[in-house]
Amino acid sequence: MPVPLLEMKNITKRFPGVLANDHVNFNLFAGEVHALVGENGAGKTTLMKILYGLYSPDEGEIYVKGKRSVIKKPREAIHYGIGMVHQHFMLVPPFSVLENIVIGEETHRAGILDMDAPAERVKKIMEDNSLFVDLSAKVEDIPVGLQQRVEILKILYRGAEILVFDEPTAVLTPQEVKELFKTFREMKKQGKGIIFISHKLDEVLEIADRITVIRRGKIIKTLNIEEATKPLIAELMVGKPVLLEVERPTVKMGDVVLEVRDLVMKSPRGYDVLSGVSFEVRAGEIYGIAGVEGNGQTELIEAIAGEVKLESGDILLNGESILGWDVRRRREAGISHIPEDRHRYGLLLPYTLAENLTLGMHYKEPFVNRFQVINRKKIREFARAVIRKYDIRTPSELTPAHALSGGNQQKVIVARELSAEPRLLLAAQPTRGVDIGATEFIHNQLMVAKKEGRAVLLVSADLDEIMSLSDRIGVMFKGRIIKEFTREKAVKEEIGFYMMGEKE
Amino acid sequence: MGVSTLIFFLVKGLEISAPIAFAALGAVFSERSGVVNIALEGIMIVTSFTIVWASMAFHSIWMGLFFAIVAGALVALIHAVVTITFKVDQIVSGVAINIFAFGLARFLSQKVFGQETQTPTNPYLFPQVLGINSVALWLIPIALIAWFVLYRTVFGLRLRTVGENPEAGDTLGLNVYALRYAGVVISGALCGLSAATLFPSQWISGMTAGRGYIALAAMIFGRWDPIGAVLASLLFGYADTFRIMFETKIPIPGQFVQMFPYILAVVVLAGMVGKARAPAADGKPYEKGEG
Amino acid sequence: MSAVKVKFDKYRFLELLSPVLGFLASIVVLMIIVVAVGESPVKALVAIYKFSLSSSAKIATIFSMSIPLFFAGIAVAFAFQAGVFNIGVEGQYFFGGLVGALAGIYFHLPPLIHIPVVVLFSMLGGALWALIPAILKVTKNVHEVISTIMFNSIALALVNYLVNDPLSGLGKGKSLEPQTAKIQSTALFHKINHVFSYIGWKIPDYVYLDYSLIVAIIMGFIVWFVLFRMRYGFEIRAVGTSLDVAGYAGMKVKNLQLAAFLISGALGGLIGLQEIFAIRGYYTYGIASGLGFDGIAIALIGKNSPLGVVFASILFAFLKQAGYGLQFYTAVPNSAIYVIKGLMILFIVVINEITAKYIRALRKKEAF
Repeated sequence: MPVPLLEMKNITKRFPGVLANDHVNFNLFAGEVHALVGENGAGKTTLMKILYGLYSPDEGEIYVKGKRSVIKKPREAIHYGIGMVHQHFMLVPPFSVLENIVIGEETHRAGILDMDAPAERVKKIMEDNSLFVDLSAKVEDIPVGLQQRVEILKILYRGAEILVFDEPTAVLTPQEVKELFKTFREMKKQGKGIIFISHKLDEVLEIADRITVIRRGKIIKTLNIEEATKPLIAELMVGKPVLLEVERPTVKMGDVVLEVRDLVMKSPRGYDVLSGVSFEVRAGEIYGIAGVEGNGQTELIEAIAGEVKLESGDILLNGESILGWDVRRRREAGISHIPEDRHRYGLLLPYTLAENLTLGMHYKEPFVNRFQVINRKKIREFARAVIRKYDIRTPSELTPAHALSGGNQQKVIVARELSAEPRLLLAAQPTRGVDIGATEFIHNQLMVAKKEGRAVLLVSADLDEIMSLSDRIGVMFKGRIIKEFTREKAVKEEIGFYMMGEKE
Repeated sequence: MGVSTLIFFLVKGLEISAPIAFAALGAVFSERSGVVNIALEGIMIVTSFTIVWASMAFHSIWMGLFFAIVAGALVALIHAVVTITFKVDQIVSGVAINIFAFGLARFLSQKVFGQETQTPTNPYLFPQVLGINSVALWLIPIALIAWFVLYRTVFGLRLRTVGENPEAGDTLGLNVYALRYAGVVISGALCGLSAATLFPSQWISGMTAGRGYIALAAMIFGRWDPIGAVLASLLFGYADTFRIMFETKIPIPGQFVQMFPYILAVVVLAGMVGKARAPAADGKPYEKGEG
Repeated sequence: MSAVKVKFDKYRFLELLSPVLGFLASIVVLMIIVVAVGESPVKALVAIYKFSLSSSAKIATIFSMSIPLFFAGIAVAFAFQAGVFNIGVEGQYFFGGLVGALAGIYFHLPPLIHIPVVVLFSMLGGALWALIPAILKVTKNVHEVISTIMFNSIALALVNYLVNDPLSGLGKGKSLEPQTAKIQSTALFHKINHVFSYIGWKIPDYVYLDYSLIVAIIMGFIVWFVLFRMRYGFEIRAVGTSLDVAGYAGMKVKNLQLAAFLISGALGGLIGLQEIFAIRGYYTYGIASGLGFDGIAIALIGKNSPLGVVFASILFAFLKQAGYGLQFYTAVPNSAIYVIKGLMILFIVVINEITAKYIRALRKKEAF
């Protein structure tokens, strides 16, 4: 039995109120892909942060190639050959690709930077691994898929042998995922070990050699690929049988609620971010927008939810143009919005749940009287009712929002937006970073909205989510909907091609 | 206006611009590392007092300069500790330090010289070159060095990294806190040179007259670039020089002439076309592990 | 900061801890300074007591001095609630005071109307002086700290000019303290000391408890009610908490910031009421300065709430008296108090951060 490349023994980590890692044992052999799966908050990110030196464990040891290694900061992790490709890229947008690769590991003479030698080294690594990027380009100018390559080059440049990938496929098209897995296989051949963190069970089953399930800080089981099946893994992750497919009610489609016509928007730099988007969404329909992040989805939602500068085109709600309407007017007309970045846009964290649940409707009766004085009693009553209805876990309606877990926070946002009884619900990445339990709940709520005759515009980077929920799918590429699919005709591979723009 | 007047204008303008320019250079380092330093005004008050005090205590203007630089670095260090280690809002800390520094200089003046609002004259002065304080001429080489350090050295690259994306820097093994401390302390130290070029022969309460804030306006106008900040400072400095040289010949009441530098700063900031981007993480305290 | 009533629990206690601890820490520093100067701490404390607290008249003086400080604090605090750093309160009260004084000099109205008019014009003047920095902020994103500080200096020079020449009440250059003409008697603020004798508190005539106290109480209540019980106040505070969330929820962010800035300026304009209308009876640019910066400290210590500002302004008035007392009885100079003020702010905000972090951790534990 060869010595494992990496062994984490008995790792325990406590945070106030939470036992993030509970005597965790985890190992990795050279030449294998070992997947680590678990819900958000299960402890996988904490474990990896300990490995990378961002946290230090309260108990336990780490052994690299059999030798005891104490890792107190990222520099030391790098020294031991551990490299991490984070879910949210750790890049400096205004700097060049080469600069990003080199920071922290610079070649210099007496403090003065030498960029030529590193450039040569990087070119060789690119050739060895078939990973090509333009070194002089600014990171903010290159697409997301290439940005990920920069992250990989960064860790290869530092001689990583243990590579940790945290949800790497979240931002990739199916084809790019195939490319990434090809790279994994190359690295396996070179004797490197890969830790693959993902909640996408199909992908895990495709590429992993072993699968470890973690739940509530404890390792539940480590499976070999032969014995692993999707339902088995899901059940281990949650602790009970999980409904992997959402029940879809049959609903008759109503009139067109949202019509987007030839929308054109320019970015501050002058190029087209939206280049003539057109589509419709009907009442009782879920229209899912598939596409690699960065093709205009965020801007499209912004254009429908609020006031942005558009070059040309129109947006119609129930036949009426809403161009130039401010956010409040759009909300009053029946548009609700689950924001992509809930931390930045969705909640006033220091405020109570009651106040957050009435946000956006706070100026309406009965929450204020005709003199604009706030009626606190009514707000609390409303909040209590909503909390009950949506089963939000909280000590009271007066608890500040920041004290809730991520999944519960998202539930608050979903509950609030649906309570406004919208005609059109904009759901942008509604289950990003949310645990399976809350995800299941949110998907059900979207179905309820559909049954209630609301029009739902769903934007998600998770193609599985889009395919499972949508009645129709529009593929967005370079600021346009280039192809629509109905539910029956949707084939994952084909959608993937369109996402890459390969079949324009 | 003859040639000699023009030469005088050019040379004197450099001297008048220097205090703002040095402070603006310092501000660039601080803000590029991600820390807003409103305390520059207060630091300048302390350094301009220190240079007088130390020169007279050690009978040498060079000792005065040394201690002024040290004093500036120390006061900046307070700002650094409060905002970086304790993650207090950077503007609040800056304002508090300005109040503190204002009182500190007066207090020390009272204790050391017996007079709260001004000190006696300092007989130790810098050598003059071309009719002006020679330290003002150091501005050009120092500005170039600052540019080089920021863009061509390891330290500069790392400093700029933590100002744009401290979390990325952290995962790459950079010590975010240490780099930010360095940026802030450098800004304080450079205020020592501001003091050297302002009026090293005496300290009078209020002599800084808002130059610390004008330096910030210069940094913004110069788009957070060292050369840009110096050029913007020269704009302010030469405008002021023009005012000083010709104010008796202008038929405007004295008070309006007095307002001129401040109005100019506002106009400059208001008229800035195109979005000048501050470093992305400028002004936000960094909490390790919050990612 | 929530408007919904939270019972006085451990969280409230912890939140109140920072100002108290910060104050105590600064007293310690003060004593260190005292010793460094060569005096004994006991003598210093006695001197402070003697000068500021030893008689009901002296305590009344503290209340009197706290009135302008209260306006300063509430002006800055209101802006802070919206996330706006209005450092220009200094300029706003110099300019606002002048405008109010002019209304007092050149209007002829019965007292019942003249006094509210004068208050209104002071507020108008203050708001006017905040107008340009406010507009620059919302339209061109000019950072208000720099612009308001610049405007402070501009204000000082401007009123200097105006009082010296066009508006001079004594003729140009004829007085050591250039001032305007006298304010009409119908606009003067009279003392209300006699009111307190009804509750058994005899206040001598030289202590100024005047109409500005009434204005302060009214304004304080209005500010509290608007911020915490009205929809616009909720929106203003939401903008101060998160611009992004407020915009997402449909609030008109720029308008709210502009409004908060102007209201802050208006409140700042009231700082000079006591000195101009009760004490002097005319306007001069020699009125007390530095109150703007005190306002910033008071707002921070009072945690931007009207009630907190009340306590903080009384505290600052006490500190001012303490400073004079020290200067009078001991060798500790007045400037030591500035040092203490600055350090006190630093102590308080640092302790604030530490307790806030602790509270957040406690809350998280509770929610699980």
